[in-house]
Amino acid sequence: MIIDVRNITCRFGSITAVDNVSLSVDQGEVVVILGPSGSGKSTLLRCLNALEEIDSGEINIDGFLIDKSHRHIHQIRLEVGMVFQAFNLFPHLSVLNNVNLAQRVVRRRSRAEAARVSKELLAKVGLQDKLDAYPGQLSGGQKQRVAIARALAMNPKIMLFDEVTSALDPEMIGEVLEVMKQLAREGMTMLVVTHEIGFAREVADRVIFLDEGKIVEQASPGDFFTNPTHQRTKDFLARVL
Amino acid sequence: MTMTWFFEQIEILSRVFYYLIQVVHWTILISISAYVLAMVLGLVFGVARISRNRIIRVFAGAYINTLRGVPLLVLIFFFYFGLGKVINLDRFVAGVLAVGVCYGAYMAEIFRSGIEAIDYGQHEAAMSLGMTRWQTLRHIILPQSVRIVVPPGANEFIACLKDSSLVSIIGLRELTRAGREYANQYFLDFHTWLVVGVIYLIMTLSLTRLVKYLEKRVAVHGYGASRDDH
Ligand SMILES: Nc1ncnc2c1ncn2[C@@H]1O[C@H](COP(=O)(O)OP(=O)(O)O)[C@@H](O)[C@H]1O
Ligand SMILES: [Mg+2]
Repeated sequence: MIIDVRNITCRFGSITAVDNVSLSVDQGEVVVILGPSGSGKSTLLRCLNALEEIDSGEINIDGFLIDKSHRHIHQIRLEVGMVFQAFNLFPHLSVLNNVNLAQRVVRRRSRAEAARVSKELLAKVGLQDKLDAYPGQLSGGQKQRVAIARALAMNPKIMLFDEVTSALDPEMIGEVLEVMKQLAREGMTMLVVTHEIGFAREVADRVIFLDEGKIVEQASPGDFFTNPTHQRTKDFLARVL
Repeated sequence: MTMTWFFEQIEILSRVFYYLIQVVHWTILISISAYVLAMVLGLVFGVARISRNRIIRVFAGAYINTLRGVPLLVLIFFFYFGLGKVINLDRFVAGVLAVGVCYGAYMAEIFRSGIEAIDYGQHEAAMSLGMTRWQTLRHIILPQSVRIVVPPGANEFIACLKDSSLVSIIGLRELTRAGREYANQYFLDFHTWLVVGVIYLIMTLSLTRLVKYLEKRVAVHGYGASRDDH
């Protein structure tokens, strides 16, 4: 068990975005999180990366504990990579330097070592010929692949994907999902918030349905899509399938 | 108006110009020193203004609002006649401090808005890579803020240069002070103030061109909203 979430709650004023959620994820597991807009999917992922402070409960990630004290956030962020819907590439840095920077300043790798890792990862996501381009010169699909390479460069044990294809033109979704499938095949532990039902069916080990900050249902993709037990899950699936 | 009169005027003007241009380095020196101080204070207080620590934030806010709310002339009197007499500051140091801390408050607001203009996603991406707040500021936020800060920041230097004339009041012999002395001595008010004005104008207009050039320089290749959407 690499992630162990116990009864976490995350509030924004009067809104309870994540409501007493418990969840454990095994090493190498791919968990897809589905749910309507505003159901707390992003907030849950952000809690796992300590980008959001939890109000109660605790999160154990590979032996490091996040609680209200926020003591281990630095180690946890090294263990957990995150890819965002809006890419969030650093626009003032070239593709190579986007991937290099945190390796240099956080992992303290030498310039040569960082560049070697970056080039290897950029080749893996099919962007070996874009090293000197700036984010502004890339397509959405290319940007998102750089963002994945940038997160992987820190050697995370867990990768979080928050609707990473939602801002893409349809013809670019495939190239990003392909990279994610490859990662899953290599045994990366992944939590993926997505609307791509095909991806969930094909890649997920488990599907979680979140509504109003609570886990309503979780099952293998086979069971989840063919025999949902809860009415809210059925209603949701009826809309997206 | 005869030709002789005309040449006489030219002769007087060039004599005044030649005299005053020899003190203009004081104006430049005061402005640059005050501006360097203002940039340092501006960066420190601009960052402090958005600190997570409430005490630091309130302190920075107090500095900014106080110094922006007091006339520069009063600050100059305070630093020279007030503080300067207590801790023994000479005219130059007192003048530079007064202009520097005053412009530091303006620069702080420019830095603050430059930092706040950067999308929050940039902070999140940097933090998710394990970067500390300080590393994020230094490697991600400030380099992008530069592009936003340079045009208004450079305009503050032009304003600073013009306001350096106020330190003439405490007897610092920069361009304006020297002009006043010259005008009084030779009863040449018209010619002297015309020349003083022209010298300031030459400096400010050249700086305006420099700012335009800098604006182009900091617009990083392939980087900008117009090119970002495809
Ligand atoms: N920073 C925030 N401040 C206030 N409310 C927020 C914030 N982030 C999320 N919320 C609220 O929390 C709830 C869950 O949001 P989110 O996790 O983004 O949902 P999802 O990703 O499933 O669409 C929503 O009601 C949203 O408005
Ligand atoms: Mg979301």
